[in-house]
Amino acid sequence: MPVQTDIAGLPVIKVLLVEDNTADAHLLRLLLNEILSIRYELKHVARLKEAIEVLDRETFDVLLADLTLPDSYGFDTFKTLHAHSSALPILVLSGVDDETLAVRAVREGAQDYLVKGRVDAQALSRAITYAIERDRIETALEESEKHYRYLLESITDYTYTVKLLDGKPVQSIHSPACVSVTGYTAEDYEQNPDLWIKMVPEADRPAVLSQVDVALAGRTPDPVEHRILHKNGQVRWVRNSIVPSLDTQGRLIAYDGLIADITERKRAEEKLVNSEAFYHSLVENLPQFILRKDVTERFTFANQRFCNILGKSLKEIIGKTDFDFYPPDLASKYQRDDRFVIETGKTFETIEENVSPNGETIYVNVVKTPIFDGKGKIIGIQGIFWDITERKRWEERLQRANEELARSEAALRKSHEELKAAQLQLIQAEKMESVATLAAGVAHEVKNPLAILMMGVNFLNRRVGNDESSVTVLKEMQEAINRADSITRGLLEFSSSRQLAVKPRDLNELIEATLQLVRHEITANEINLTKDFAPNLPPVAVDKNQIQQVFVNVFMNAIQAMPKGGSLKLRTYPKQMTESTFSEGSRKAANFWVGDTVAVAEVEDSGSGIPQENLAKIFDPFFTTKPTGVGTGLGLPVSKKIIELHGGSLDIRNVPGGGVRAIIMLKGHKPQTTK
Amino acid sequence: MNKKRILLVDDEKSFTNLLKLNLEDTGNYEVRVENWPEDAVQAAREFKPNLILLDIIMPRMPGGNVAAELQGDPELKNTPIVFLTAAVRRQHVEENEGLLCDFPCLVKPASVDEVVKMIEKHAR
Repeated sequence: MPVQTDIAGLPVIKVLLVEDNTADAHLLRLLLNEILSIRYELKHVARLKEAIEVLDRETFDVLLADLTLPDSYGFDTFKTLHAHSSALPILVLSGVDDETLAVRAVREGAQDYLVKGRVDAQALSRAITYAIERDRIETALEESEKHYRYLLESITDYTYTVKLLDGKPVQSIHSPACVSVTGYTAEDYEQNPDLWIKMVPEADRPAVLSQVDVALAGRTPDPVEHRILHKNGQVRWVRNSIVPSLDTQGRLIAYDGLIADITERKRAEEKLVNSEAFYHSLVENLPQFILRKDVTERFTFANQRFCNILGKSLKEIIGKTDFDFYPPDLASKYQRDDRFVIETGKTFETIEENVSPNGETIYVNVVKTPIFDGKGKIIGIQGIFWDITERKRWEERLQRANEELARSEAALRKSHEELKAAQLQLIQAEKMESVATLAAGVAHEVKNPLAILMMGVNFLNRRVGNDESSVTVLKEMQEAINRADSITRGLLEFSSSRQLAVKPRDLNELIEATLQLVRHEITANEINLTKDFAPNLPPVAVDKNQIQQVFVNVFMNAIQAMPKGGSLKLRTYPKQMTESTFSEGSRKAANFWVGDTVAVAEVEDSGSGIPQENLAKIFDPFFTTKPTGVGTGLGLPVSKKIIELHGGSLDIRNVPGGGVRAIIMLKGHKPQTTK
Repeated sequence: MNKKRILLVDDEKSFTNLLKLNLEDTGNYEVRVENWPEDAVQAAREFKPNLILLDIIMPRMPGGNVAAELQGDPELKNTPIVFLTAAVRRQHVEENEGLLCDFPCLVKPASVDEVVKMIEKHAR
């Protein structure tokens, strides 16, 4: 019965009436209105086309249809309507003269037919409600059948019994479920006694047959898993279990079999095997060492690579701990790392320094991660490590290269500094050179007027006779001329770069000879002279007069630095150069080179020393701290120049505790290179 | 007594004047001054000096050239020449035994005594 009800609780049945005869339609409406227990809602259309349109828009419980319509005639009308709304029960309205057509419609799916003019209200209503009810039951039945068919097809097991007579199979009975597994029905098996073995692929038949043989011998064989060919051509996997069946006397009368479809399981297994093969291949072919341990630190797995370094088989490793393979301190370190992973659940990564079995130091990168069970609980650790010695070596090499680079950069910076210093010296030298050129010009120009003055003074000297004051004036003029002359002479010395008359000489002897020139000054100033001359001094190639001039200068400076007496220490010694030296104000690159043998002479006074601010200027021409007339300011610059012309060096420095030390270094004479 | 004839070639007029005065003041020398080096040879031919005092750094014609010209003259080639110059250093000359390019040399400023000594040593 329809579920819909109206406000009053009456069942509501929606009816679509397809009727081209208006009078008939009207009559039917009146009849249905007579029924008080059911409220009929009637919708009337006159043409098939209209009916289809209405059916597309609205739902009805039942369709009343006259098959003779202006746009469709006879059985076609029913066919069109039934095809359009197959779920809708149809009642065919027919005239007295065309009952045959109505009967045909009923046979093809119409619920019933009514002959127009021969039905009263009750019969009409009954026909309608029955039609609806019948249709509902039919639908339910159909669905139920479909459901069971589906269930049946889903069954993956079936049983069978093979009856035996005198030990020979005589009949087999298959349960209906066999159709869902094999595609064949029980009847198929009954009609074709060999079907059960024919459906087994040839390759699997021996196993199946030997299983049967065991059963025929009265024993229970092991289940056999084999393939069958489904009726639809698919290969399926089944598990076949057989149990012999004995009568009360213990005679074998039959055996019962259970066939279980295990295709899905087989597929899953196959997948698992493939997947396992995949991971196995990974684990064994990776260049890493892989191991697993449980939470009690026992090995549960090791890949072949790891087995190899322990020199044990996997069997010998599983169940053991690190203490079985490593020295105690190493084993406890490994277990400490494992505990960290187990307790924190974090990944542990480190680089370890190990000693390989052949004694080489190797570096390994270690990564340890926790292993979880299905519930997320930590059940062990997995360790992966790999040799990074090569990488480490390269890193070290890189590091060394870097350090070397840093060193050479430092060296570069140092030589840059030296270059800078050399450049400064060059600038200074250039300055000196300009001064020298200037000095030479000035000296010459000054000398001529001096010569005139000298002539004038000479002339007047003869004429003044004994006039004392005139004599004094002329004497002072003469001295002034001498002083000016000595300055110009110094200037010329400084500026000259003439040829040296060099000969190999003994520096000690040279100094002794020079001392004779200043002996008077030494004694006059009450200076205590000490000499410490090395006997093994190399001969030096020098211009005797020039070098003597230098020593006179140096001695005079020392003596003048000690107006109240003091000590003058002279020392000579040979020296092997261990580094190159440069001297300020010289155009030459280096005075000495590593390996040169040098004769050194030191002249040290006990005076007050040179004030720091003057130290840098002592070699500048015209720089002097001596009273006018005592120093020209050219002594040291000229001396330095002379020494440098000899390829030597002159150095003046303060001695700690007072006094000045002049250090003169001259290259040892090498016969083969001296001209 | 015969005074020695001295030819003084130097472009510095004040100097030549004073040296001439000083030398003639001794009463032993007759001095002729030539301030133009180009004219020195001509002056020597005329004057026939016992000695020539020759400056080196002179405009237009250095003393070296004058000396060469004098030596190249058959009449004058035996006339002694003494350089009297500011161009070299005393020490340098001393180291060369008083010679400069094989000529005796006096370095300016020289005193009259030094000049006289030189003349007496080399004049003929």
